[in-house]
Amino acid sequence: MSAKAEARTVKARAELALNDDFLRKAVKFTTERLRSGKKNASSEQGNWEDWRERGRQIRLHTIANLDYYLNLFANNARANGVQVHFADTGAEAVQIAMEIAERKRAKTVVKSKSMVSEELHMNSALERMGIETIETDLGEYIIQLAGETPSHIIIPAIHKNRYQIADVLSKVAGEQLEADTTVLAGFVRKKLRENFLEADIGMTGCNFAIAETGSMVLFENEGNARMVTTLPKTQITLMGMERIIPSFEDLEVMATLLPRSATGQRITMYMSAITGPRREADADGPEEMHIIIIDNGRSLQLGDPEFQELLNCIRCGACLNACPVYRHIGGHAYGGTYSGPIGAVLTPALNKNVAEWDDIANASSLCGACYEACPVKIPLHEMLVYLRRRKVEQGHGNKAENAGMKGFGTVMRSAKRYSAAVRMGQLGQKLVVRGGEIRSKLGPLKGWNSVRVLPSLPKQSFRQRFKTLDEEIRAGLQEMSPDVRSRMEEALKRQRDEKPEQGGHGHG
Amino acid sequence: MADAERERLRQTDDIQHTEAAQIESAQTESAGKEAAHRQWLKRLEEQSRAKQEAFMAGIAGRLKRPRVMEAPVHPFRGAPDFWRGFELFPEERVARFSEHWRSVGGHVARLPDLGAVRSFIAEKAAEMGAKIVLRQNEPELAALGLEEALPDAEVSVWNEDGGTDWKARAAEADFGVVMADHAAAHTGTVAVLSSKDKGRSVSLLPTALFIILPAERIRTRLGEVLTELDQAGRERLPAGVHFISGPSRSSDIENDLTIGVHGPGIVYALIVG
Repeated sequence: MSAKAEARTVKARAELALNDDFLRKAVKFTTERLRSGKKNASSEQGNWEDWRERGRQIRLHTIANLDYYLNLFANNARANGVQVHFADTGAEAVQIAMEIAERKRAKTVVKSKSMVSEELHMNSALERMGIETIETDLGEYIIQLAGETPSHIIIPAIHKNRYQIADVLSKVAGEQLEADTTVLAGFVRKKLRENFLEADIGMTGCNFAIAETGSMVLFENEGNARMVTTLPKTQITLMGMERIIPSFEDLEVMATLLPRSATGQRITMYMSAITGPRREADADGPEEMHIIIIDNGRSLQLGDPEFQELLNCIRCGACLNACPVYRHIGGHAYGGTYSGPIGAVLTPALNKNVAEWDDIANASSLCGACYEACPVKIPLHEMLVYLRRRKVEQGHGNKAENAGMKGFGTVMRSAKRYSAAVRMGQLGQKLVVRGGEIRSKLGPLKGWNSVRVLPSLPKQSFRQRFKTLDEEIRAGLQEMSPDVRSRMEEALKRQRDEKPEQGGHGHG
Repeated sequence: MADAERERLRQTDDIQHTEAAQIESAQTESAGKEAAHRQWLKRLEEQSRAKQEAFMAGIAGRLKRPRVMEAPVHPFRGAPDFWRGFELFPEERVARFSEHWRSVGGHVARLPDLGAVRSFIAEKAAEMGAKIVLRQNEPELAALGLEEALPDAEVSVWNEDGGTDWKARAAEADFGVVMADHAAAHTGTVAVLSSKDKGRSVSLLPTALFIILPAERIRTRLGEVLTELDQAGRERLPAGVHFISGPSRSSDIENDLTIGVHGPGIVYALIVG
C-alpha cells in the first residue's frame, strides 16, 4: 500500500490527496476526458436510455435467477474441459490458486488486470510463496513496480506523471529512460514479451461469463489479456460469481454499454471469448484452464432489497468519472479496492463491516451523478443513504451529532423554546461578533470558521419583526393609489380569462 | 588392440544401456507424474461438484425461494427491438467499417481481388523490410502465393509441422497474415476464430498485422456475429474467438495515446471485392 492509503480516515486520506497537486489535476483531467468521451460515445450510439434500460433488465434477470445461470455456466465450462472451482471466501480462492501453482511448480505468473485479484490480494500471496507475479497491463505494471495500488478502476496509474514513470521503469531497465510515452511503452513491450513467453501460469479476471456456452469474455485495449490467455500452459481465471450473462446475444448489449461507459470507445480494441483450454491439435492456448468462481461477500447482497442491484455492476468506472467527490480526492482516499461511488457502497457491502468503512458513505454529496452515469442504472446515491441509515441504526453514528440532533428536535418542537433559543443566541453572540461577522474558531465554530466566516444573527429575528412587518404591509396596501389598484385587478382578471381551465393555487 | 576395442565397445554399449534406461525411467516417471496429475485434477473436480450444489443452494436460500432448475423465461434477451431492424446496404457497411477502423488508428485498403492483396503485402514488406512473415493455414492465404511474392522474407505457415515452437515463431514475426471470419461495420470490428490451422498468436504477436476481409463478410451489427456463436452452440465453438477493432493501444501514461503496447501496432484491414 502506498503512503497515500495509510491514513486512517477518508478525510485524512483525502487531505493527503488534495495536497498532491499533480494527483488532483491528473484525476480531474482524466475523469473529465473519460466523461466527455462517454457522452460522445453514448450519443453517437443513440437511444442511450433504451440501451441502459435493456442492460439493467438483463442484469436484473440474471441475478434474480443466478443459481440457474451460474450452475449452467459451471456445467458447460466443465464440459469444455475447464476445471471449475467454487470459493466462498477470498482466502479460499487464494488457497485454490496456490494449490494449482504448487502443482505446476510455477516460478512466474503473468496477470492481466483484474479487480477481483486486487480484492483477494492475490499478488502478495503468490509473492509470499516465492512466485514472481507480473502485472502486464501497462498501468498496472507501473504501479506494481512502484509498490502502489490502483487509484482508478480503468486507469490504475492515473496519479503518476511520465517523469515518475520514467524513474520507476529506469530502475528495471538499468539505464535512464527518456520520459517519453513511446519510449516508455516500447520498453515495457519488449520487457514483458519475454515474461509472456516464459511464464508458467497466466492469470486473468473475467468481464462476462456466458452461461449457455461456458465461455469467458475479456475486454481490453492493449492485448495483454490475449497474451495471458494464449501463451502460458496453464490459465487461471478469477471470476466474481455475479459476472454471468445468459448468452452471446446478451453480450451485444454489454459490449455496447461497457466500453462506451468506461473509456468512451465504441468498443475496446480486443474482445475475446475463451471457451475452454486449447483443442488437442491447436498449437497455442493453455493446455489446462481453471476458473475460480468467487463469492467473497457477494451473496450477502442477494435477497437484500436495498443492495441486491449492486450485483448488476459491470465495473466500468463511469460513476467514478461522474462523481464530484472522486474528481477531487482520487481513488486512494477511499482506502478499499474499489473506489468512487461504487466503492463507497461495495466495500462495506462485501465486507459486511459498515462500522469500519463508516466514513466513506459520507464521502458523497448524494447528487445522484453516479446513478445518471451508470450504464445499468444502479441507484448508488440511494444506497449511500441506506448505508448511512444502517450505520446509525447499528449505533455507529456520531455521538455528538446524535445528541445535537436530539437537542435540535427538542428546541424546534416548541415555539416557546425556539424563541428563547433565538434570544439566547442574540445575547450570547455579543461575545464573538466583530463588525457583523463571527470569526472565532472556538469549540464547534472551528470546522466552519477555518475556511469561512459565519454571519452574525440579526439584532431582531424575522418572528420578532413580524408584527411590525405585518402592520406595514397592511397599511401600505391601504395607501395604494386607486388607479394602481384597478390596473392590478384588471391584470388578474385577464390572467384568469386566458387560462380558464387552470384554476386553483398555481403560481402562474 | 582387439581387447581395447572390445572394451571401448562394451563401455559404449553400457553408456547406451544407461541412457536407454534413463530415458525409460524418465518416461515412466513422466507417465507416473501425468497419472498423478490426472488424479489430482479428478479429485479437484469431485470437490468442485460437491461444492457446486452447496453454492447454488446457498444462492437460492439467499433469494428466499427453491432452486431454479428449469430455464427461466428471459424476456429481455439481446439488443432492444429497434436495434434489430438496423441494417446498412453493403456499400454503406464497407464505408462505415473503414471509417471506424481508421478512426482508431487502423489502416484500410479496398482491393479488387487476391492478386491485388498479394502485391499490396509485397509492397509493404519491401517498404518496411519485413524478414519474417507468418500466415494462417487457410486455402485463400495459400492461394496468395506469398512465398514467391516475398523473395526476401521467410514465410511460414502456422502449425504446418510439429517440430516448430509456433508461439516463438509468431513472436519474432514482422508480419502476421490472417483471414477475417466475420466483421461488423457499426463497431468496426473483425472476428477471428482459432483452430489447429489458425493460431491465436498470429493475429497478436507480430509487429504488423494484415487482416484480409472479403467485403461480403461485413455485417451491420456486432449482434449479427454474436448470434451466430449462440447458434453454433457450445460444442462447435473454438477455444478462442477474438474480436479485433484496431491496433493495440493504451492511454495509461498521462492519458497520452500509445499504439502497439503489446499487440500489433500496425494493423491493415484489406477489404477484398
